[in-house]
Amino acid sequence: MNVVFLNAGFLFAALAALLPLVIHLISRRRTKTVDFSSLRFLKELERKKVRRVRLRQVLLLVIRSLILLAVALALARPTLRGAAGASVHARTSAVIVLDTSASMSRKHNGRTVFDEAVRVCREIVSLMDEGDQAFLVDAATPRAPLLDEGTFARGVLLDALDGAGSGAGGTDYVSALEQARELLAGARNLNREIYVVGDLQRSGWRSGSAGVEPARGAEPDGPSSADVFLVQVGASAGNLGVSAVDVARRYGGPSGHFSVTSSIVNHGTREVSAPAKIYVDGEQVGQSGIRVPAGGTATVSFAAAVDDARWHAGHVELPEDALAIDDRRSFVIPAASPTEVLVVGADGREALDDAYYLARALDPAAGGERYRPVVVDASALAAQDRSRYALVVLADPGELGGEARRWLEGRAREGGACLAILGSRTDVRSWNTDLAPTLGAAAVRAPFERESGVRLAPAVGGHPLLEGLVVGDRLIDDVSVRRGFVVDAANSEVLLELPGIGPALAIARAESGANVATLATGLDRAESDLPKSGLLVPLVDRLASRLTGDWGGRRDFVVGEAIELSLPATPSGRLEFETPHGERVLADRRAVPRETASLRGSRDPGVYRLFESDEPIALAAVNVDPAESRLDPIGPSDLEEIPGGSGFRFVSPDAEISGQIMEARRGREIWRALIYLALGLVAIEMIVARPRAAWVPTGGTDAGTGDR
Amino acid sequence: MAEETFRRFLDPAVVSKLATMDLRARLIVEGFVAGLHRSPYKGFSVEFAEHRQYMPGDPLKHIDWKVYGKTDRFYIKEYEEETNLRAYVLLDASGSMGYGSDEISKIEYGRYLAAALVYLMLKQQDSVGLLVFDDRVREFVPPRSTPRQLHVLLRELDRARPASETDIGTVLHDLARRMRRRGLVILISDLLDDPAKVLPGLKHFRHMKHEVIVLHVLDPRETGFLFDGDATFRDMETGELMTTEALSIRSDYLREVEKWRATLARACAESRIDYVPIDTSTPYDRALFSYLEKRRRLG
Repeated sequence: MNVVFLNAGFLFAALAALLPLVIHLISRRRTKTVDFSSLRFLKELERKKVRRVRLRQVLLLVIRSLILLAVALALARPTLRGAAGASVHARTSAVIVLDTSASMSRKHNGRTVFDEAVRVCREIVSLMDEGDQAFLVDAATPRAPLLDEGTFARGVLLDALDGAGSGAGGTDYVSALEQARELLAGARNLNREIYVVGDLQRSGWRSGSAGVEPARGAEPDGPSSADVFLVQVGASAGNLGVSAVDVARRYGGPSGHFSVTSSIVNHGTREVSAPAKIYVDGEQVGQSGIRVPAGGTATVSFAAAVDDARWHAGHVELPEDALAIDDRRSFVIPAASPTEVLVVGADGREALDDAYYLARALDPAAGGERYRPVVVDASALAAQDRSRYALVVLADPGELGGEARRWLEGRAREGGACLAILGSRTDVRSWNTDLAPTLGAAAVRAPFERESGVRLAPAVGGHPLLEGLVVGDRLIDDVSVRRGFVVDAANSEVLLELPGIGPALAIARAESGANVATLATGLDRAESDLPKSGLLVPLVDRLASRLTGDWGGRRDFVVGEAIELSLPATPSGRLEFETPHGERVLADRRAVPRETASLRGSRDPGVYRLFESDEPIALAAVNVDPAESRLDPIGPSDLEEIPGGSGFRFVSPDAEISGQIMEARRGREIWRALIYLALGLVAIEMIVARPRAAWVPTGGTDAGTGDR
Repeated sequence: MAEETFRRFLDPAVVSKLATMDLRARLIVEGFVAGLHRSPYKGFSVEFAEHRQYMPGDPLKHIDWKVYGKTDRFYIKEYEEETNLRAYVLLDASGSMGYGSDEISKIEYGRYLAAALVYLMLKQQDSVGLLVFDDRVREFVPPRSTPRQLHVLLRELDRARPASETDIGTVLHDLARRMRRRGLVILISDLLDDPAKVLPGLKHFRHMKHEVIVLHVLDPRETGFLFDGDATFRDMETGELMTTEALSIRSDYLREVEKWRATLARACAESRIDYVPIDTSTPYDRALFSYLEKRRRLG
């Protein structure tokens, strides 16, 4: 606790406490000398009385000085503070941080939590006095410009409140506080306050930015410090929401078949059962009952069959509850489009080599309907356009030159997918020291050779990619491998293995995020039976699909994020995004590292469509941040974990806000105590200074006689 | 000069008033005198005092023919009657007597008192002497009853100036030893000396069968300590300084003064000494007349 002077300018008046001393010293110097007949009686009194008189004079001096000091200090309005703020009479600059995030749309007691927050803000505004300044800052992301420039007029502030509304964004109280402090740093008034009005949900307090200053009470007062009041509106409540939707192409069946897997989260304290429905292109295509445990998550999967020649949009939906905005989550199903694949073969390769077989497996009909393989020699690799190909297959090219390696390094940095086939031309040392680390592929331990061959087997536990290709624990076709490599597939998905030897086919995720697959044997008849196996085409097809699955980039975003969609080719026409409400916005374009169209700061949840010259070419789903579904607020015990939170002060929304704030503002003003002290000292001074009652001699000046 | 002094000290109104008053000694007076004080003893003697030039109207029987024979001029013998009352007026002229808060200082007041008393007693044909003292006897005029004595005494009174310190006790003892015959001693003083020294001196007179009147003259500021605020007091006799807050000590000061006066009054009463406390704010004639009237009533 410290003492703060609200009217520190009056502290100069404390110098008045020196006045009695000055007067005393001056009067001592000016003491007149009076001739008196005899000091006989004064000397008699000196021993007892005069010394007491001197003590009394000193006491009076001290008392009078204390009186003046007490009055001066009272005028300066000292306040004992913990984290409380300014006086109602001292001019204040305040920032109201209003939470407009998605969670604030929750219904509570007949209206939304946001409406309650606005009511509280109005009550706070009513505390504004003449000379007080106020700002209105949004705690949601993306942040809406409410009243960043501040105002001294209540009316302007109230208008800004009227114009505000809850959105679909997430919550970032920490960043909002940082902005509030920056605004107050330039404010005129010395007393500074920040009011955070919202549901104070826990997820909104994750430290989104560094350098939040500790609140008053944690550090000495300074011009940039402010008192922070947390006003929670809307009691904590349970909530059911759709937290995630994942769309995956299904294999082993007709094209256009997808599985849509949705996660349902229960933030309540009781188990909830509810039906989940799936809609594609506006039509319900499935429904499933779910039971979600308290505080837990349940997963529900749906199957969807669509024409994969075009994009599709859908959503998973729950029955509407108090917070309806998270009961629906959109998703998109991308159109299947031919994927360009670069196949790098060895220089001077033979006609029927790894590159040949791989290219044939990718495009059996040579029509380029799914994949368009382009085969080049290793020496021509460096001349290729890296951004053109969704997948690069190193079909046992042998040792690569410096330019080729640099090309591959660049591609790896860009996150391009890669399939490495380790055949007979693989230089183990070169692979392990250069390519494998560059690509993030599996390293080679040692070559192996089995004259009798080792049968290729599915990995233990299976893999979704092998759906339909496995019967029991065997592949549908026997594939014998005679030569290959023992690879290190730690931290990889192993699809196929060579029993007794090691992984045969593994997929790893490079640092750049790119998918990299390593086939530990070559597509050469001398090495394995893969080239002639019926397994090759579906395996390569699924593998390529799996590796190039992110080639189009993310298609699922959170409100507030920038939507970035990779384009299959350089657009020739005008690119525009259409928002869920039908508004057209010009897209931002970027060509490096690859063609991308983006839209900054999406505000509304739903499906955004990308148009090129009025033709839809891509879709993106924007959803509410799943963290908004968790409604439990922070409590006083959580403040320690928040940067600067130890000085924050909670204000209960149930009681009168203004009363609590005024009490919190004042801290404990002690000017009254000083005035009482001064009055008490005045009374003491009057008593001490009171002249002794005049003693009237009993004898008069009349003549007397000696006769008795 | 004598006339001026007379007029200065003896206002006609005062003189007129004094004409109606007397100062009788209560004690038995030795010898026989003309006037108020008659001796219980038989017989008398007259002592030649001095010659003066004959003025028309003087009794012829008093012409000293021997001097005429020698000088061919007429001179009158003046006789000092051996009165039974010899009065001594003792005027304290120490430094403290110079103090006065109003228009009159104690010494001046005392002079007026002394002058009036001297006049009164000489009018009564008593012998009156004067002793002016501070810490020692400064001036001594033996008691005489001649008409000229008044002028002599007034002159000495006029010359009395306050100075030096006080030692009343020593002076009283000294005079008491000198006085061979019973008499009346009138002490005019502020008595600002140690009572342990003053009272024995007064009692010495009583021991010698003299009658004593003490006119204790004080200034209103001495009796009321009418000061306020801080002041530095300077002793008029010693020059010593003391700073104090007057209001704070007034009550105690007054208590000390009253205690002191009461001590003196009690001691004087025990010794049958008339103790007359006088404040210089009271006109001297009123103070004196008041005392004389009371004395007369009490017989």
